Amino acid sequence: MPQEIRFGDFVREITTQHEHLSYNHVTSTPKLDAEGQPIPLKAPPIQLRAIDAFRLIKPYIGTRLQDQVRAVVPLALYLMLFEIVILRTDVVDAEVIAAGLIAVILGLMLFMEGLRVGLMPFGEAMGTSLPTKAKLPVVLCIAFLLGIGVTFAEPAIGALKAAGQIVEVENAPYLYSLLNDWAEVMVLIVGIGVGAAAVLGTLRFLYSWSLKPLIYLTVIPTLALTFYIAQHPELSKMLGLAWDCGAVTTGPVTVPLVLSLGIGIAASAGKGGSSMSGFGIVTLASLFPILGVMGLAVYVEQAVTPAEIIASANSLSAATSGLAWYESTPWAEVIGGLRAIVPLVLFLMLVMHFVLREKLSQPRNIAYGILLCVIGMIVFNLGLSYGLSMLGNQTGSLVPAAFTTLEHVESSPLYHYRVGIIIALTFAWVLGFGATLAEPALNALGLTVENLTNGAFRKSLLMYAVSFGVGCGIALGVLKIVFNIPIVYLLLPGYLAALILTWFSSEEYVNVAWDSAGVTTGPVTVPLVLAMGLGFGDAVQAIEGFGILSMASIGPIISVMIVGLWINWKVARKHQRYDASLNTTALVGKATLNRKAV
Amino acid sequence: MAKKEIVVLTDVALITAIVQRGKADAIVKAAQEAGAQGASIHYSHGRGVRERLGILGLAVEAEKEVINIIVSRDQTDRIFEKIYLAGDFDTPGMGFMWVTPVEKAATFVPPDILEKFAQQDRRSPERRRRS
Repeated sequence: MPQEIRFGDFVREITTQHEHLSYNHVTSTPKLDAEGQPIPLKAPPIQLRAIDAFRLIKPYIGTRLQDQVRAVVPLALYLMLFEIVILRTDVVDAEVIAAGLIAVILGLMLFMEGLRVGLMPFGEAMGTSLPTKAKLPVVLCIAFLLGIGVTFAEPAIGALKAAGQIVEVENAPYLYSLLNDWAEVMVLIVGIGVGAAAVLGTLRFLYSWSLKPLIYLTVIPTLALTFYIAQHPELSKMLGLAWDCGAVTTGPVTVPLVLSLGIGIAASAGKGGSSMSGFGIVTLASLFPILGVMGLAVYVEQAVTPAEIIASANSLSAATSGLAWYESTPWAEVIGGLRAIVPLVLFLMLVMHFVLREKLSQPRNIAYGILLCVIGMIVFNLGLSYGLSMLGNQTGSLVPAAFTTLEHVESSPLYHYRVGIIIALTFAWVLGFGATLAEPALNALGLTVENLTNGAFRKSLLMYAVSFGVGCGIALGVLKIVFNIPIVYLLLPGYLAALILTWFSSEEYVNVAWDSAGVTTGPVTVPLVLAMGLGFGDAVQAIEGFGILSMASIGPIISVMIVGLWINWKVARKHQRYDASLNTTALVGKATLNRKAV
Repeated sequence: MAKKEIVVLTDVALITAIVQRGKADAIVKAAQEAGAQGASIHYSHGRGVRERLGILGLAVEAEKEVINIIVSRDQTDRIFEKIYLAGDFDTPGMGFMWVTPVEKAATFVPPDILEKFAQQDRRSPERRRRS
């Protein structure tokens, strides 16, 4: 019987629920063989009860599902509610669209997880060990090919191809042929643009070039070519598409893979570690494809005449009459998914095997990741055509009912002309703003920027600045379609303003601003906005509905740089005041000293 | 220069928990609500249970976060249980945790607390612990 017990020990005895079990019973010791040598232990596989397996898998799937639900559901709900409340129509094929949206969520979830498990290890391994095993030209060559590969694997590229089916061949024959007969070539050209950007970006890491000259050297020729193309009435219809391609390329596959390669190369070359090393590739990867596609447009114009295109398209449509573009078999999506992922994986495998001569560390996991990627891509493509594209197209084609007379909407125009226009613009602005705020990549960029500027540029401020820019851009794009403004009148001033701002801004903000344009166009936003623009264009009898995405890219560049300049001015003013206060105290101190001396 | 006096804390324990990457924040929050002062987290990656789970091992992240929490001895059991529940340690692959006795620790002790103990010591000299 103890004389005293600490009250703390007493409380512990009556409150805790510890079952004590000796760890000796849980661990095992190696057995000895005949010669008395211990036999190496091989841990037996763990047999789980069903409930344990479920509890293990539930959080794994739950968190990943939640991420995608957050990105897709609010947007879809916004569009549907807008249709029902403001436009007073019902959502057509609501069941099909809902199923399609579920497919998009599932597909994106599988695809992202596959990317993380299956493809990212490749990118990291290549980035770290390539420079030690190969000479610089070989490394750059591989970066170039990787750029092409990732473009084909980019989910949003499929949306671009799908959009081509809606274009009326009589209205814009060249645009139609670029999106149908030349679709593969166009994606290849875009890929070459991304590859060239990867090469330049890697070189920039190695020699730490400033981004500004690169931007001037890319944007000025692009604008010049745009101006030249705008003079041709037939060619100018392709401008919107060309500039939209730039926004499509920088998605969830391209950015991480190319970046990890570039940063890995820079780190192993011993030149990494500059705070801005990760930026710039995204910018170049969205500018080069624009140049490439415009070049292709000029070439197509030389190669074929409009009459030929219309004739061939008509013979095609006669052969496959009665099939709308979204009624094709699901096999098209399956093949598309395979074709997007398999070449990229094969290329990575070949590089691993022949250039690096390395074995994969965990082939089973990689195989699982690649399988997930392919399945995810297929499901996502299905959801794209039956969910996102349908919904976007439908909403886009209904919104003009707010201000003009449409055949398929009763009692349109629903509102007074000016009110209707304002409603349509507000709708577009809110869509851009909301979709961008929900983009996970923007959150990551915001964190990076806050760290880089030592908290002067807050994460939330960047996110709002970018979202505000995108909102304004999308609203501008809608204006362009409504009033049929030639896109060159919007692009030239916009990019000239961006160039002037670039001239005055500091290097950090130039990097952040130009990259934020690429970050904002994710796999959900691009198809929605593309389809919406095309539907919108159809409804107001515009020739083509492209160009909204390009406006959404220029918006944030300008808004972020303006905010950056404002912050710099604030910081400078603070320093001035601080210096001024120092000076006055110093003066006062001097004065007292002088007095003492007197 | 006068010699600085170090206040040594006794009755200290260290709780270490290894969890999957990304789960530490929720666990530290639960521990703080149960009275822990704070935690330090560092990254590592682990091997073991993941390989033995077969296909299910894919649901376990190889990248880990190691949480170190310094607690007082009377708090140990309560916080240990809270961490156990917050981290779902009863599920395979979720992590491992243990308590290490700590001989002594030192940090900033607020002066009002020091003042309080000094007064108590003056009142009852026999309460003074051997150091």
